[in-house]
Amino acid sequence: RLAGIVRPGGDMQWCFSQVKGAIDDDVAEADIISTVEFNHTGELLATGDKGGRVVIFQQEIENKNQPQFRSEYNVYSTFQSHEPEFDYLKSLEIEEKINKIRWLPQKNAAQFLLSTNDKTIKLWKISERDKRPEGYNLKEDDGRFKDPNNITSLRVPVLIPMDLMVEASPRRVFANAHTYHINSISVNSDNETYLSADDLRINLWHLEITDRSFNIVDIKPANMEELTEVITAAEFHPHQCNTFVYSSSKGTIRLCDMRVSALCDKHSKLFEEPEDPSNRSFFSEIISSISDVKFSHNGRYMMTRDYLSVKIWDLNMESRPVETYQVHEYLRSKLCSLYENDCIFDKFECCWNGNDSVVMTGSYNNFFRMFDRGQRRDVTLEASRENSKPMQVLKPRKVCAGGKRKKDEISVDSLDFNKKILHTAWHPQDNIIAVATTNNLYIFQDKVN
Amino acid sequence: MDRTFLIFLRLDSSGTRRRHETKRRHDGSTHLMTLSKNTSMLGRGVKRKWSCLEELEAEMVPAAAEKEKNGEEDKENEDGFLVGPSKSDMTHLQQRQLVLGLCLEKLQHYQAGVELSLRRSVLLINTLKQIQEDMQSDGVETCPPEVLLNGVHTDSCLLRDDFREDMPVTCPGCAEDDEDNLSPPLSPEFPSQEANSSPEQQKSLPAATVNAFSDAVNAMGYLSDLALDDIFEDIDTSMYETSDLPSAWSAGSLWPVSVSLWADEDVKMRSSNHASAGSLQSCLTDLNELDHIMEILVKS
Repeated sequence: RLAGIVRPGGDMQWCFSQVKGAIDDDVAEADIISTVEFNHTGELLATGDKGGRVVIFQQEIENKNQPQFRSEYNVYSTFQSHEPEFDYLKSLEIEEKINKIRWLPQKNAAQFLLSTNDKTIKLWKISERDKRPEGYNLKEDDGRFKDPNNITSLRVPVLIPMDLMVEASPRRVFANAHTYHINSISVNSDNETYLSADDLRINLWHLEITDRSFNIVDIKPANMEELTEVITAAEFHPHQCNTFVYSSSKGTIRLCDMRVSALCDKHSKLFEEPEDPSNRSFFSEIISSISDVKFSHNGRYMMTRDYLSVKIWDLNMESRPVETYQVHEYLRSKLCSLYENDCIFDKFECCWNGNDSVVMTGSYNNFFRMFDRGQRRDVTLEASRENSKPMQVLKPRKVCAGGKRKKDEISVDSLDFNKKILHTAWHPQDNIIAVATTNNLYIFQDKVN
Repeated sequence: MDRTFLIFLRLDSSGTRRRHETKRRHDGSTHLMTLSKNTSMLGRGVKRKWSCLEELEAEMVPAAAEKEKNGEEDKENEDGFLVGPSKSDMTHLQQRQLVLGLCLEKLQHYQAGVELSLRRSVLLINTLKQIQEDMQSDGVETCPPEVLLNGVHTDSCLLRDDFREDMPVTCPGCAEDDEDNLSPPLSPEFPSQEANSSPEQQKSLPAATVNAFSDAVNAMGYLSDLALDDIFEDIDTSMYETSDLPSAWSAGSLWPVSVSLWADEDVKMRSSNHASAGSLQSCLTDLNELDHIMEILVKS
């Protein structure tokens, strides 16, 4: 087990560690990765895909003889979480695509996670079985029943070791609570409740109770034609179990306190940055739509991702973010084309590192970006099979926005907008990151000196 | 030769596509703003000749190339094109027209059986409203109504090379033809609507077009809000079902109130309760009308 070492961001050099998934360029739609999440210790890494499957990787015990190699992640469990369903009322298929996975903190030997598609959330128990009973009195080891007349002695069955078997079983199914598409789930710090958010409503659940949920936010207007804004993401505060935030398609974030009232339609705080009038265009609203919101581990900040930038907000200041990082500003002049091919609607996620000093998010051309808040440095890296030799150090990439293109730079017009990195995750205690391209999962590690 | 606004021609042929956020499948990679026609980023394997985007790119190439030669950075303005010295009004108009067309096309995707997510519907409709406000705010000063009409009806006089704001751009007989084509299927409420809107005509499309589009726009985004009690099991809807209509429409359930896209016209085309067989008929009338308009657009 790795110690919780987190190096200062500036020393980071990222190396390729592993890649999971098919090498084939022809991507099967079911294999498209739709969510990536480390558990609370970082030992387990879960991915969900468009085919409704969950694959969990486990970090192997560190090889003490070769300290320069951190342990690898290998497949631990694979199961079908959701199946496609059919909504007969609307004559529409309900996709089995896993939108989000969230781990519960570990309480006993088993691991628990929540996985959700557009309509239904499921609680899965992942448990290990490495022993089996042997020596029954009434049946043989293969299960055949013994003839009672032949039994002459009595013995106590014993547990003998067997090959490790990992079983995933659905323990709860939380269904029929969302009319619209679920975009977020978040486990509360009380470890008893969680929230689920769709386009217009947020519900609060108790993990033990599946036939009831409490509606805590409802922004559906009485007259649907007055609808101008939807909920895009929601998350509980990491420490304050009464506090959660939700973001909107208009670029606002609302912080709500559940102690104030049962229905949190009235926010306690509204975070919104005034629009820059010089940047106004027909696409202003679309690119201001927030695709992800994440609290920092220390609970003092939250990060939002809109189409072109990442913003860090101090929870005590609603008027504007304290930090703004441009992810791919060179796309601002291309918004019309990106609107035409629908890329402008892509929803990128973002994540913090363990000590909140660095944030990461994805971009196009299989690029992903890291912003070191303390050192005020940023880097663009690429997840590609070409840079996939063991422990190969990733070379920083640069996009040329215009003018003369330098050697090693790539011009905006050459970017591949089919190759987008929407999902990234950072190990909670170590410099290990998981980056999902369309159908591959890349694991990179900080180079150990 | 007529250059048609190909946006409207791109009808989705697959009526059985699964519902999910529309993701274009591209053959090979998708590149942005390449100036050669063969590698347009406009995807789904459908090659679009004479795409408005490519036309504009073609116009801009000389300007861009010149800038390259001079070693300057390409000047990029907010319109999302690489442009030379700004002809800002025209570029703005062109972009607005382009975005309007794209917006309507994306919303009309719903007709082909591809459901838009609520988030996307809302964003598209808000963009549409913004364009409408923009059009209204300078509609009186610059564009004669025929221009708007033509923009929507895809005889894209706007995109002709010799477009000048002071040039009469009415396509001959266009306005009249449209009136004729649109009036027959009008429901009783339409005539009064038109009378009301004639003083507004300077800045709006004929009411029929507006409302047909606004119906389409409204229906698409909000049909996820189906209410159980609005479904009529006893109505045999099989004869109303067409391949490009979701069955929910045919059931006549919860037809949204049409909202005028034009800010100062607060006319409701029909009452908000559509739980009646009579409204089913008027819904179908509007659909016929929409089909009619589409036919005009697609006239080849």
